[in-house]
Amino acid sequence: MTTHLALEFAQTELLDQLLTLDASELDTLEFGVIGIGADTVVRDYNALESKMAGLSKERVIGHPLFTVVAPCMNNFMVAQRFEDAAAAGKALDLTLDYVLTLRMRPVKVQLRLLAGRSAERRFVLVNRKP
Amino acid sequence: MCSDAVDTEGDLAQEHEALLQFVYMAPVGLVQARTDGEIVMINPVAAQLMMPLSHDGGLSNLFTALVDIAPDLRSRLAAFAAPQGMVCDGMHLPAPGGARGERRLYSFSLIKLDDKRIMAMLQDVSWQAQRERLLRHQESWLNAILTGVTDYALINLDARGCVTEWNESIGRVTGHGHEVVGRSLAVFYPEDAITPERVQDRLHEAEHNGWSLDDGWRQRADGKRFWGSAMIAPQRALAGDSQFAAALAANADAAETGYCLIVRDMSGQRDAAQEARHAAVCDHLTGMGNRRAFFDAAETELRRWQRLPRPLSLVLIDADHFKNINDTHGHPVGDEVLRHIARVMGATFRQIDVVARIGGEEFAALLPSADAQSAQRVAERLRATFEAHPAPTDAGPVRCTVSIGIATVDESTSSVEALLKRADEALYAAKHNGRNRVCGPAAALAEPG
Repeated sequence: MTTHLALEFAQTELLDQLLTLDASELDTLEFGVIGIGADTVVRDYNALESKMAGLSKERVIGHPLFTVVAPCMNNFMVAQRFEDAAAAGKALDLTLDYVLTLRMRPVKVQLRLLAGRSAERRFVLVNRKP
Repeated sequence: MCSDAVDTEGDLAQEHEALLQFVYMAPVGLVQARTDGEIVMINPVAAQLMMPLSHDGGLSNLFTALVDIAPDLRSRLAAFAAPQGMVCDGMHLPAPGGARGERRLYSFSLIKLDDKRIMAMLQDVSWQAQRERLLRHQESWLNAILTGVTDYALINLDARGCVTEWNESIGRVTGHGHEVVGRSLAVFYPEDAITPERVQDRLHEAEHNGWSLDDGWRQRADGKRFWGSAMIAPQRALAGDSQFAAALAANADAAETGYCLIVRDMSGQRDAAQEARHAAVCDHLTGMGNRRAFFDAAETELRRWQRLPRPLSLVLIDADHFKNINDTHGHPVGDEVLRHIARVMGATFRQIDVVARIGGEEFAALLPSADAQSAQRVAERLRATFEAHPAPTDAGPVRCTVSIGIATVDESTSSVEALLKRADEALYAAKHNGRNRVCGPAAALAEPG
């Protein structure tokens, strides 16, 4: 029940901060966190994201994000952005408006796509719009 | 007992979650909506396919989200009288939005569940479509030969597409006598339905593919029209049946031996398959070509241009302040205005022109063998007609002017999308400069004066 984490969805240099957190610390964040590796397999799936989507961590972690967990992001607006950044060896930090189908309801959200140059650790952050 | 109940509850939660994931992972897009289009439930693949089409970044209404690729969904549903059933089944919709900007093909089905709920299924079938295209071609080739017809004429053509000899079937079906010998096959078409360039295209395609088939109006010697189809095949390829493929490969000199033309009178033929074909390529509201028909025809025309450059122009037409008409008079009157636009376009353009409704209030006409000047002339005539003649509607005459953008194909035109984009820029200039006007490519670049 630590509350020392005050990371915010929109803050700068968020990627570095996220990388220092373990699973239980990610669970305290007030935005959805999906972490993927270079192979797009899900490594992190925090409590808020799990609750919003209605899927437990066990069903998600270890599965490819864009085909099994969130096919809705498998288009040029999201998946392609990660691919392009990785191919160019560039870091990615992009916020965009999107619609997720959380529990089959269309929900307007903001997505923030984060990737380092190596693409080893990448994140999709989900902020429900007020 | 108590632990049993907990277990059951746990099982239910587990099952619920598994079910949720099942729909999450379903490889087809599923949407449940109200009959006004408002989305109630939507799965991820539907969002994946529809998000690139959304104008406002949202997915709250099915009809709004799909308006660019299927503008007539609302009217299709409204016209569907049965209390429940399939409104459209596997309709093919060309869509923008591939990963690298390439065009995709969506398959779309709409089911009316009751008077309050509808369900839609959406799938990206771009690859299947490519495979099926070959099969379809074979099928239509067989149909052309085997399907029952009122009558047919068998006509021999020389290498330039001119009739080489008269026979009784020509007289029976087309009414032409011996004087037809030596004339181009264009003689069997209404005047505005074919050009000399198109005759050469058909011969080339027949040689290249083994056959060339088109359905449409044909004309008898006395000027009477009938609905018919025309199939052209290189003569050698038709002769060698079992060695069809080999003959194709070896027919390098088909251009010397000539072609065979079969004109079939299909008057009165209105079978289910034809109705289905009609529904697939026609806009439901206006009866004119739909987006898919437009893209198919435009791609063919662009390929022909690439083989043999000749004038080819695109006229893009957008109804001015159309939203005001809908807001002031309601959708039914708006629909009447759209049908008026379709009628005027049908009366203005030639039969060989491809006219289609490609968006909510956006129309396109592709003009083979027309350069920028002649496209400009016909566009100006069209504009003036709308200015002078209001649409007759239940709410009285409603004046609706149009803005028009023109683009002409040149070496830099890499795709239909690129051509559309250029016409769209000209259209934007026409809107920007006060609407009710025609802008060509030059105007799109020039500063508004």
